[in-house]
Amino acid sequence: MDFEGKTSVVTGGAGGIGRGIAHALARRGSNVLIADTNEESAVKVVAELMAFGAHASFCETDVTAQWSTDEMVEAALEEFGQLDVLVNNAGVGGARDFTFRKTPNIDDWLATFDVNVFGIVNGIQSVEKYMLDRGYGKIVNIASIAGRSGGAGFTAYGASKAAAINVSQAWAFKLAPHGINVNTVCPGLIWTPLWESIGEWRSLTSRQHTGMTSRQVFERAVAESVPLGREQTPEDVGNAVAYLASDRARSITGQALNVDGGIRMN
Amino acid sequence: MSIAEQSIIPARQADWKQRDRHGENLNLKGQVAVVTGGATGSGRASAGKRADRGAAVMVADINDSASAATAAEVAEIAGRSACFRVDVTDVGACSDLAAKTLEVLGPADILINNAGVAGAPNWQKRSFSTEEDWKMTYRVNVIGMSNIVTAFEPQMAKRRSGRVVNIASIAGREGRPSLPHYSASKAAVISLTQSTALELARYNITVNAICPGLLWTPMWEQVGERYAREVPAYAGMSARQVFDVMIADRIPMKSEQTPEDIAETVVFFTSYDAKNITGQALNVDGGLFMR
Repeated sequence: MDFEGKTSVVTGGAGGIGRGIAHALARRGSNVLIADTNEESAVKVVAELMAFGAHASFCETDVTAQWSTDEMVEAALEEFGQLDVLVNNAGVGGARDFTFRKTPNIDDWLATFDVNVFGIVNGIQSVEKYMLDRGYGKIVNIASIAGRSGGAGFTAYGASKAAAINVSQAWAFKLAPHGINVNTVCPGLIWTPLWESIGEWRSLTSRQHTGMTSRQVFERAVAESVPLGREQTPEDVGNAVAYLASDRARSITGQALNVDGGIRMN
Repeated sequence: MSIAEQSIIPARQADWKQRDRHGENLNLKGQVAVVTGGATGSGRASAGKRADRGAAVMVADINDSASAATAAEVAEIAGRSACFRVDVTDVGACSDLAAKTLEVLGPADILINNAGVAGAPNWQKRSFSTEEDWKMTYRVNVIGMSNIVTAFEPQMAKRRSGRVVNIASIAGREGRPSLPHYSASKAAVISLTQSTALELARYNITVNAICPGLLWTPMWEQVGERYAREVPAYAGMSARQVFDVMIADRIPMKSEQTPEDIAETVVFFTSYDAKNITGQALNVDGGLFMR
């Protein structure tokens, strides 16, 4: 197995896409540390992973604080003895109650950049010294196809995800000579708690979605925009992460791969 | 020994099977893969990797004897393989290939469009692109690819399933003064990949491109010779020295890419794991290009 004896840390691993990533890595033999603010959900994911024989544990982590991601890395090393893969997946759509605002306010801008950008920066900064000393490491950041080009409405989120792609490239370049790969996955339309909020936001703020449930908004988006005609899943993202984090992809770095059924081709 | 003669197919197949224990996802048993330009270089590595995962492989190449040799290697691994001489610029030959594949191995599940040229014959001896270079690269790299996809589309569409991987190049990511005809043709391959992906999505066929970086292949050997002759900074160097200097100067990871790297990416795009990825072009280049 690609990750036999290896250890992966997945931020935001307690639910949604992060859970899919944790499963994909654990099924390929990796030990997994779930780093999340939500202990209740994280513990459930840990139990799922252990149920099929993987080694997993939880570390309460707030990626917006450097000390917290430092502790996360220490926890992984203490628990499993080594750290091979860091998946910076934690993300938010906006500040509290963002679904009720037609356009993002300053709190939304700060929240999206705090988590979606600085969260990645903190994660990388906490792990890079260890990876540099070791001369080995795989970092995969989760951005979004929303970061591929600007659009009306969900501006703060889109801008933060574009920044996430840029940040990944910067560290890819810096860490490339040291045997460390840094890549990005840009998920498309995936039914997660985040998309549930986005659906709610659209039904509250866009006239053409008025009265629709969140899931209906989602299905309409899938039907209208996905060439392959179906939604993507957390497993799809997990599989792409597992590929990019494996030694099979040793010559791939600084790339952003869309897992979106063909919505975006850049 | 040239790169074409070195075995790229892993000697110990058991190791790979061991590594793939995690699931059925990378298991291609019962599938049929067609590799154009499959006789040598990256195409050969891809053919081997497919077979390694249990697929039956059709090795299609203009080079008859080399493709027979690769097909024989593949047969040793997978038990089933065939080879067919095809000039991808010949529409009739492409349909014959599709018919032959169907007849001998069954309907194609996977299509790897790897056939490509860097120019018309003797391109490496010229300093400038000729009209023939432009025509030849476009005919083989772009129109040839379209011919092959068109020939196999009915087989895949009928079964509502298929995977196409087109080999482009990082040369297609940005225009450069050397070999402009080649760069332009590879940019066209990326564009063709996107159009084809949109066209075939309704049949549940994914189409993706790989942009290889710097690989020590027969083609790069000729590129290196040309650079040594044309570019003052490389004067007096052997082709391999030019190649090594370019790796050190330009590749962030400071290492060359290999046919094996490309074959692994092909495996990913054609696997179940990548079922929701289409229309993408992925650079396998040690970080040289990040877009």
